[in-house]
Amino acid sequence: MPAPQTLADHPHDAMLSILARADGERLKSFAETLIPLLGDIDVLENRTGLVMLPMRDTAQGTNFHLGEVLVSEARIVANGQEAYGMRRGRDLEAAMAMALVDLAVASGIALGGCTDFLDQEAAAQDAADTDCLRRVEATRVEMETF
Amino acid sequence: MAYVATRGGERAIEQSQRLFREEMGTITAARVAEIRRAMPYLIDRVMGEASLYDEDLAALALAQTGGELYEAVLLLRSWRTTQPRLAVAEPVTQDGLFTHRRISAAFKDIPGGQVLGPTLDYAHRILATEVLSDQDYRPEPVEPAARPSPAQQPSVAAWQAENDLLTAAEPDKTAGNDIPDITREPLLFPSKRAHTLQSLARAETGGVLALGYAAQRGYGQAHPTVNELRLAEGEVMVKHPRGTTFSAGRVKISQAEVVNKKGTQLELGFAATLGWNEVKVIAAATLDLNSEGAPKGSATEEEFFLYHTEGVESSGFCIHFKLPHYVTFQSSLDAMRDAKKKKAAKIPEPAE
Repeated sequence: MPAPQTLADHPHDAMLSILARADGERLKSFAETLIPLLGDIDVLENRTGLVMLPMRDTAQGTNFHLGEVLVSEARIVANGQEAYGMRRGRDLEAAMAMALVDLAVASGIALGGCTDFLDQEAAAQDAADTDCLRRVEATRVEMETF
Repeated sequence: MAYVATRGGERAIEQSQRLFREEMGTITAARVAEIRRAMPYLIDRVMGEASLYDEDLAALALAQTGGELYEAVLLLRSWRTTQPRLAVAEPVTQDGLFTHRRISAAFKDIPGGQVLGPTLDYAHRILATEVLSDQDYRPEPVEPAARPSPAQQPSVAAWQAENDLLTAAEPDKTAGNDIPDITREPLLFPSKRAHTLQSLARAETGGVLALGYAAQRGYGQAHPTVNELRLAEGEVMVKHPRGTTFSAGRVKISQAEVVNKKGTQLELGFAATLGWNEVKVIAAATLDLNSEGAPKGSATEEEFFLYHTEGVESSGFCIHFKLPHYVTFQSSLDAMRDAKKKKAAKIPEPAE
């Protein structure tokens, strides 16, 4: 099996995190364009399920379960590469689209297009975070002691 | 306890369910989307108590039950059992939270400062009745600051530990499926701390508030001060089959620490839940703070508060009293009649 490729500008962990948070409709549209390039794909898994989410207590340091998060998962194989998608929510197509982009990058297919897509989504996510945090900053209390 | 099997209610039951559902009318995707959009705090409360994070499902449960919260939570807990568990994420830590609101009532100058975030704490509570006369209520827009607030904020407790005000907690190394889980193990007492905190995370808000409030009013041993309260988002960190750790998305989390003086140091109570529900986590952290050494049967004893704040069990037990108890009740009546008869037999009749 050939070693999976990664993008120079988006390490594997960052790429997956961007795809998991990417706009679902844009992700699906982009993944559609990759399908003809990827050859025969075996779908091993495409389902919804739960991820247990633990948290660490700050009083005694204990890890405990906060609850379960609904996710959609896709696991596919092609070109000797296994690819994966997992996103919060119940959109199976979006999870599959994420796995298709992961597959394309691992297989060294359409790397330029994938980089462009990830650049755009990362920029949109950064802008949304900045906008949110500027609004949060507006509520900062400037303490004045009398 | 005895029950009696009865027949004859089939049609009545069918029609009663129709009567309940007919009132809500047709449930559409648009209605579910509107509930999700317009009532985020109700959605959060339901997700926290259901212990299942998905806004669409929570909105659907509310639409389907007409906002009957116990039924909505029960629907979600039931649906959850149909889903496989795919993974256990890495533990969320306080210093990694994407923070929207962070305040302290104990120290005004906490490292990182205080941001109020979205709150009505200081609002006038005035009902906008003009909306009912066709005048829309349009909230004033936020005026964003020029620079963003830091996404991650330092821990107040860590700062207190550095200043010898409390003992820093040793991070737990337990991970994955080794973390105790009350959805797969019985809740036994004395409870494992992981079970206690998980139970409080999924507890019913009103129940936690009632018992936490009892402790705050003086039925507990320790008076809480909010050391740090956060409304934030946490990353759901999972593993790719190749071993890469990544975020599958963010979820809203509330977290509260309450503090009390104990000897020469401070002691902390802690609670957190899925969704933004700060009343619940402050009350739950108060119970955590008060639980050590609490008298048996008191509101702050863990067995008492954990059993009585589990919403599905407590509401289920409460409503089961509506079900036919004809044999037990008939038995009580028989006993009453028998007692009356015996009492009457002992009293001599007045002489004629």
